[in-house]
Amino acid sequence: MNTRKLISLGIGALAVVFFATLPFYYDVHKGQFGVFFFNVFVYVIVAQGWNLVGGYTGLISLGQNAFFGIGAYTMALLWFNDVTKTGYYFDPVLMIAAAVAPAILAVLVGLPLLSRLRGDYFSFGTLGMGMIVTVLFINGGMFTGGAEGRMLVPKMPEGVVFNLRTHYWVALLVAVLSTLVVYFLTTSRVGLALKAIREDEVSAASHGISVLKYKVLAFAVGAAMAGVAGSIYGYYLLQVTPSNVLTQNWLFYPILMVVLGGTGTIAGPWVGAFLIYLMSWYGDSVPYFTGYSPVLSGVVIILVMLFLPGGLMGLAQKVPGWGQRGGE
Amino acid sequence: MSSLIQVVINGILLGSMYGIAAVGLSLIFGTMRIIFIAQGTMIVLFAYLVYWSFEKAGIDPYLSLLWVVPLALILGLGLFYTLFRKAAALEDRNVSLLLAVGLMYLIDNLILKLWSATPRGLNITYSDAMIVVSGIRVSWLRLALLGLGLGSALAVYLFLKRTRVGTAVRAASEDMEATTIQGINSVWVCAVSFAIGIALAGVAGVGMATVYSFDYQFGFIFAIKALVALALGGIGNVFGALAGGLLLGVIENLAAYYVGIEWIEVASYGIFMLVLIFLPQGLFGRRALVKKV
Repeated sequence: MNTRKLISLGIGALAVVFFATLPFYYDVHKGQFGVFFFNVFVYVIVAQGWNLVGGYTGLISLGQNAFFGIGAYTMALLWFNDVTKTGYYFDPVLMIAAAVAPAILAVLVGLPLLSRLRGDYFSFGTLGMGMIVTVLFINGGMFTGGAEGRMLVPKMPEGVVFNLRTHYWVALLVAVLSTLVVYFLTTSRVGLALKAIREDEVSAASHGISVLKYKVLAFAVGAAMAGVAGSIYGYYLLQVTPSNVLTQNWLFYPILMVVLGGTGTIAGPWVGAFLIYLMSWYGDSVPYFTGYSPVLSGVVIILVMLFLPGGLMGLAQKVPGWGQRGGE
Repeated sequence: MSSLIQVVINGILLGSMYGIAAVGLSLIFGTMRIIFIAQGTMIVLFAYLVYWSFEKAGIDPYLSLLWVVPLALILGLGLFYTLFRKAAALEDRNVSLLLAVGLMYLIDNLILKLWSATPRGLNITYSDAMIVVSGIRVSWLRLALLGLGLGSALAVYLFLKRTRVGTAVRAASEDMEATTIQGINSVWVCAVSFAIGIALAGVAGVGMATVYSFDYQFGFIFAIKALVALALGGIGNVFGALAGGLLLGVIENLAAYYVGIEWIEVASYGIFMLVLIFLPQGLFGRRALVKKV
C-alpha cells in the first residue's frame, strides 16, 4: 500500500465519518442540506452503477432510468399490495427485491443485445428498452396505477414519523456500499477482465475472457444499483409515478456526473454528483439564470468531453507527484 | 377495407418524415460511425425556426426551405468543426456519442427556455385542403411530406453517385482508412456528410412544422424513431432508409388503429428490439449496421 493509496483512503474515510455523523449536530430533517445530501447520495448510487457499466466496461447504457423506475415500482407495488405482510418502513426485503427485479431485466435484455451487438447499438437497444418500460408503466392500468402512479402515504406503519434522517442514513449507507462493490469488483479479477474488454474486446476474448459473461454481469450489477436507489427515492417521495421515477433525468444526470467526475474512477461519481447537484440546486436562485441549469448541464458535458476527457479525477492524476493512475 | 387503406396511406405519408431523418442518420453514420442522437432535436429546432418565421414574418413554410437548408448546411459545418472534428478521428466512439447527448440536452432545454413548453403547430391557409379519391381522403400537406421525402432521398442519391465528394463519402463509408491512404481528406468528407445530415434535419423540420404539433421534448423521441427506421431499412442504401421510415409509419398507424393510440411507442420500440436482435442488417441493407462480436 503506497502513500497515494493511504491518502485517498484517509480522505474517503474522513468524508464517510463526516457524513455519517452529520445528523448528530445538524438537523437534516429541517435544514436544507439534509435533502441536498440525500439527493446527492441517491444520484451517487445510480452514477456508480453507470460508472461500472460505462466507465469500467465501456458500454454506454442509456436505460438506467428504466432500472431506477423498476426499482421504485417494485418496492412500491409490493408494499402497496402488502405482498410481504410485514408493513415495515424501509423493508430490507423490498429493497433487495428492488435490486433483483431490474437485474433480471438487465440479464434478459443484456444477453441478446450484448451477444449480437456492440458499441452504439447496445446504447440504443437499452434506450429502446427504457422507452418500452416507461410506456408499459404509464399504460399499466390497475396494476401500476397508470400516470397517477401509486400513493404510498396511507401505507406508512402506525407510529412511524417521517424523518429525513432515516432516508439520509440509508442513502448514505447504500451509496458507500455501492462504491465498495464497484471498488472490489474492479480491483478483483472481474475488474481486470472488464478493463481488458473496454480496451480491446477481441484481444480480451483471445486471452480466454468470457466477454459476454462479464459484460452481462457488469450491466446487471449496474441495474441492481439503480434499482436500490429507486426504492430509496420511492420511500422518500411516498408516491411513485412514471413522471418522477422514470424521467430521463435519472438517465442523463448520472451520466453527466460520472463524466464530469471522471469515468472509470471510484471517487469520480461522488465529485460529479456533488457538483452537478449543486449546480441544479443553486442554479435557479441566481438572477437572470432561472431555469438555465439544464442548458448549462449540456454545455458541461460538451466541454468536459472536448477538453477534459478524464474528468476532474483525471485532472487530479496529472498533479505532479500524485503518481500514475492506480489499478489502470 | 377503405379505412385500412386510409390508415396505410396516412402511415406512409407521416412515415416519410422518419425516412428523411433516417437518411440523414445513415449518411452521418456512414462516415463518422456514430448514431447522431441529436438529429431529432435539430429537426425540432428547425421546426421552431420555421414556425417563428411564419408567425413573425408570414413566410410560407415551404418557401422557408430556401433559407433553412443553407442555414442548416452552415450550422452543420460549424458544429462539426467545433465539436466533432477531434472526436470523429478517435477510435473510441463513446466520446462522440456523449458529445451528441450533451448537444441534445443543451438544445432541448434552450428551446424550452426560448419558446416555453407549450406545443406549437402551424395554422396555414391551406391546412385543410384535401384530395378525395374514391372515398379516401388525403390532405395536401401530408402528400407534400412524401414529396419532401422522395425529393431529399433522390437529391442525396444523386449527390452520392454523381459528384466527386459524394464518391469520396461512399468510399469512406466502405473503408475510411483505405480512403485516407488514397489521399482523400477524411475530415472534409466527414464534415460534408455531417452537414448534409443536418440539412436533411432542416428539410424534416419544415415538414414537421407543417403537419405535427411539436414541443421541446419531441426531438428525442423523433431521433429514436428515425433510428428505428434506419434499423428497419438498413444502412448503405438511401432508399432503404427512406423505405424503413415509410414502413415504420405504416406500422405505427396500424398499431394505433387496431390496438390503441397509447401503444404506438411499444409497437415501434418492440420492433426496434426485434430487428436489432434478429435482423441487424435491416430489410434493405447491404451489410450489417452492427458488427457481430
